[in-house]
Amino acid sequence: MSGGIKITESRCRGCANCIRSCPTEALRVIDGVVRLLPDLCIDCGECIRSCKDRAITVNDDEWDLIKTREGLVLMADPAFYVQVGAYSRPRLMMEALESHGYNDLSEWASLAFDLSAFASAKIIREGGENLPYISTYCPAVIRLIQMNYPELVGRILPVESPLETAVTIWREETGAKENVTLVSPCPAKATLVRNPVGRKRSSLEYVVSVRTVIRDMLACNVKVTGAKTRPVSGRWLLWSTSGGEARHIASFFDKGFTSISVSGLRNTQDLLNELELGRLSGVDFIECRACDLGCFGGTGTYESRFLSQLRLNNIDAEWMPSSEEMERIRHWHDRGVWELAAPVVPRERLPLSKDIKEAMAKLREMDAIYADLPHIDCGACGRPSCRALAEDIVRGQGDVSDCVFKMRERITQLSEEIQCLSSKLPHTLHTGRKRRRS
Amino acid sequence: MGQEPYVEEYAIQAGDFSAIGEASTKFKATLKMLGIASDLVRRASVIAYESEMNALIHGGGGMLRMTVHDDHLVIEASDSGPGIPDVQLAMQEGYSTATDEIRELGFGAGMGLPNIQRNADAMEIDTEVGRGTRLRATVAFKQG
Repeated sequence: MSGGIKITESRCRGCANCIRSCPTEALRVIDGVVRLLPDLCIDCGECIRSCKDRAITVNDDEWDLIKTREGLVLMADPAFYVQVGAYSRPRLMMEALESHGYNDLSEWASLAFDLSAFASAKIIREGGENLPYISTYCPAVIRLIQMNYPELVGRILPVESPLETAVTIWREETGAKENVTLVSPCPAKATLVRNPVGRKRSSLEYVVSVRTVIRDMLACNVKVTGAKTRPVSGRWLLWSTSGGEARHIASFFDKGFTSISVSGLRNTQDLLNELELGRLSGVDFIECRACDLGCFGGTGTYESRFLSQLRLNNIDAEWMPSSEEMERIRHWHDRGVWELAAPVVPRERLPLSKDIKEAMAKLREMDAIYADLPHIDCGACGRPSCRALAEDIVRGQGDVSDCVFKMRERITQLSEEIQCLSSKLPHTLHTGRKRRRS
Repeated sequence: MGQEPYVEEYAIQAGDFSAIGEASTKFKATLKMLGIASDLVRRASVIAYESEMNALIHGGGGMLRMTVHDDHLVIEASDSGPGIPDVQLAMQEGYSTATDEIRELGFGAGMGLPNIQRNADAMEIDTEVGRGTRLRATVAFKQG
């Protein structure tokens, strides 16, 4: 169920660069325009990265409309706070938001991320059979697991995204009813709002990308000093870098805590493969982020991910929460607001047929078609691979002649037939005995 | 149409550790296409993976074959390795004859055969010292 990716058809040249970047083969180019198969999409944003014409972008809600509301409430992703050199400290960024008249929920976010790490640590400590647990934070990774690693869904931590929890706590503590807009660094978190996993409805209402908001703020050129805002804990901001979440969970561990943190889809897939093969014994926790370096490497961000990382490295994080903070964490932990409402279940791929006998026949047919294709995955047919074309054909969504190589063969064959035909003489022109006799 | 089973075969090259898990990954993709429930896919892929490892570590390479019928699937592994002298002993968790070299790679923990048995509905081993080993594991698709 995609919701984070937007395709602007008028910009698409049909270059087919994107279709091979997709880890779940969810893209096709049909009639010169890219199409998304929503059932297969995990909203990782790799296609956005590969598109040179900006035909694929993060699917924002209308920021120009949203921002005109009085007392707009923003829940900004941690990656948001390290985006701009002029507001080089998160506090400056918070002040900039406030001077725009926006209500920033970072105070509750800070608590929610603490709570999430605290709850995760508690579950992992009691882990047993399910170790290693997998982080729930990156929605693209969750979707990838649902789709390609269904065996691993039981290892996903039953802890909700702190971005959701923060809004829940804010609503309960203040009684506020206003709609909340997520400022998201990526299409995956946009889907968190539109099609959440593990709960019926998101606690957030709208979503816009970090880039959209930052551009707007920069255009206004707000002067900030950092004097107006309260200092905030840096712990939660580090979740936007690879390893930040694991570090936060580790701070709630008194004994040894073994974790592996990776970023980027390739590393994520390799690590999940190894986990699936049972090679990661002795590991307590696995943190995967679909984007390189972490959330600030997302396709909806403004700043270079390298500069964002530099800025993050300069954040001082006090890993021990104060006793008042600890009291609040415990209070909300006991209230259970951090819990994922429903377990994450596998996303079954549509089989070739519901009837296994028919599916086997179709699979055999698919094997035969595939065996006859060139196996070079050129993408000219609009499919990411020869195998995907074979699958589309048996599903009735394509034809062998979509393959340029097969079409060339066909043309050669036809022209030979024409040649053959042209050498045949009509019966009336036949020379021979008939004439001599008469 | 579709009465005969769907067969997929895979050759395992001796000592080719870089190809670990390839056969089980391919089997898994096939089963998903056929619409087999994910917990059955998981069990079948564990069996395939462990058999693949056994053939690789002990058997000096061999063949892996998956046969899918409409109500069950069979995974067969055959190798022409040294054979297993004492099957009962080999079935014990933690018992392994893998070399230190293999153990350094993180394999050979003596969980292979027990793991196959745990995930299969039926398992047969036909082995003889000097002739090699054939393993046959069945996973039934529950009705409904």
